[in-house]
Amino acid sequence: MKPNVWLLPALVAASILALFAACLLGSTPMSAERVLAAFFGGGDAGDRLVIWQIRLPRALAAYMVGASLGISGAALQGLLRNPLAEPGVLGVSATASLAATFSLYYGLVALSPWILPLSAIFGALAATGLITLAAIRTRSVVTLILIGVGLSSFAGAAMSLLMNLAPNPFSLADMINWMLGSVANRSFREIGLAAPFILVGAAILLASRRGLSALTLGEEAASGVGLNLRTQRILTVLGAGLATGGSVALAGAIGFVGIVAPHVIRPFVGHDPARSLVPSALFAGLILVLADIGVRIIPTSNELKLGVVAALIGAPAFVWIAMQRRTGND
Amino acid sequence: MTDFTVTDLTVKAGRTTLVEGAGFSLVPGELVALLGPNGAGKTSLLRASLGLEKRTSGTASLNGDDCTTLSPMERARRVAYLPQQRPLAWPNAVRDVVALGRFAYGAAPGRLSQPDADAVDRAMETCDLAALAHRSADTLSGGELARVHCARAFAAEAPLLIADEPVAALDPRHQFRIMDIIQSYVARGGGALVVLHDISLAARYASRLIWMKDGRIVADGPPAETLTAERLSEIYGVRAHVHGTRVHIEGAA
Repeated sequence: MKPNVWLLPALVAASILALFAACLLGSTPMSAERVLAAFFGGGDAGDRLVIWQIRLPRALAAYMVGASLGISGAALQGLLRNPLAEPGVLGVSATASLAATFSLYYGLVALSPWILPLSAIFGALAATGLITLAAIRTRSVVTLILIGVGLSSFAGAAMSLLMNLAPNPFSLADMINWMLGSVANRSFREIGLAAPFILVGAAILLASRRGLSALTLGEEAASGVGLNLRTQRILTVLGAGLATGGSVALAGAIGFVGIVAPHVIRPFVGHDPARSLVPSALFAGLILVLADIGVRIIPTSNELKLGVVAALIGAPAFVWIAMQRRTGND
Repeated sequence: MTDFTVTDLTVKAGRTTLVEGAGFSLVPGELVALLGPNGAGKTSLLRASLGLEKRTSGTASLNGDDCTTLSPMERARRVAYLPQQRPLAWPNAVRDVVALGRFAYGAAPGRLSQPDADAVDRAMETCDLAALAHRSADTLSGGELARVHCARAFAAEAPLLIADEPVAALDPRHQFRIMDIIQSYVARGGGALVVLHDISLAARYASRLIWMKDGRIVADGPPAETLTAERLSEIYGVRAHVHGTRVHIEGAA
């Protein structure tokens, strides 16, 4: 079970190819030469517009969302020592979506186009703060997961309530966008607003990843080998919260990518949580870019939501992983 | 020389007193067995001594530095701790699990410096794990897994070792094997405090026995002085015959 040296180069190459393919494909198919020309500032103005204003930002948004969910999922799985953990488990995605939906329902979005993404980030940080407080108070992973489940359920219920009360069909349609997740019509401005949160979150997760390896031994022995358990919990939850908040701001709540990608990656990195972070991020980004290409080229009257495709693939995988588990841990 | 000194330690959980006024010391070169029935407070005493559990009062120091003021890594370099619960979350390779013992030196499974790798190799050899190095930990037997955990603890090459029931749920041969490994560690200059439930095993290997009951330490001394039929009756509630370090337990008193 030696860590595979080809894993990272292969993932990087596949990611670049997928992003390039996402620029090629679409309602007006373009040849590779036209895409490359437009990409480097040549070609005709229409091509440059399609590439720089529509296809590239959309593909990058899908990649960033996937990568933040992948790295957050891998880190949370390491922290909670549970392959079923992901941003959704801690209630961060749901709370972020709830905050976004709330700002829609109360028309706060009319104040500024930035209100919507900002409230998603606010929701994620509020959930993260609550989880962080809980993490300081409790030693038990089970308690932490249960708090996350409670938070998810509450946010889900509150969101249903808001949908029932929605005054007009426009806000209902917007809400569906946030709950099901989509990267359609994303611009570099929206990416720019989410990116700092995602980058800071990912940096925190990467800086604290060594402790996740120690947690393989269980919390007791991890403390014994010199891990500061409390600090580790806070850093992981904070990093995952920031990255997830940024991703929800960009694309709404997209589930299951954070479970599937680390699960696939783990055998290639010797099942070491620390070494699974970067490959999981790249692989999850790749998955979402490919899923989004699928969304765009599958001929349906209404474009499918990216989150729906992700869940159609991810949810059965989630059940399969859950059924594979032989033992529970503390 | 690293010495571990615990004085007048009390641990309370709510209104229940788990440990009361307990004190002991551990120095390199001795193998001490901590004995007592289930619920006597052995694990709480060890955890609170190491600063892993909140203590109500008392002190515990390593070389004069209190365990609660030492950073977890500094503490881990002075004393290796093998807890009772040892769940492995992932099916890692055996060598990677042992490598986690080097955490306090900044190492990680994929990132071992030469001294770290050497320490891991020595620990694997001590515990006879070389042949299993690349096996996945979830395919091991209970006895093999116990050796992996011992190797993980030894990989830190700390001067002291605290092991909470290292031979629990092992067959007699593996019990002796683990105790032999711990004894060889002590012979090389380490100091070990081991929680045991097998009194014969404790009497055979330990140079000193610490007896605990109801959160208090009731006796502390060499087997020849502290191992008596009366003590077994008082601590465990069993009828027993003791001849030197040989113990024959007849049944519940």
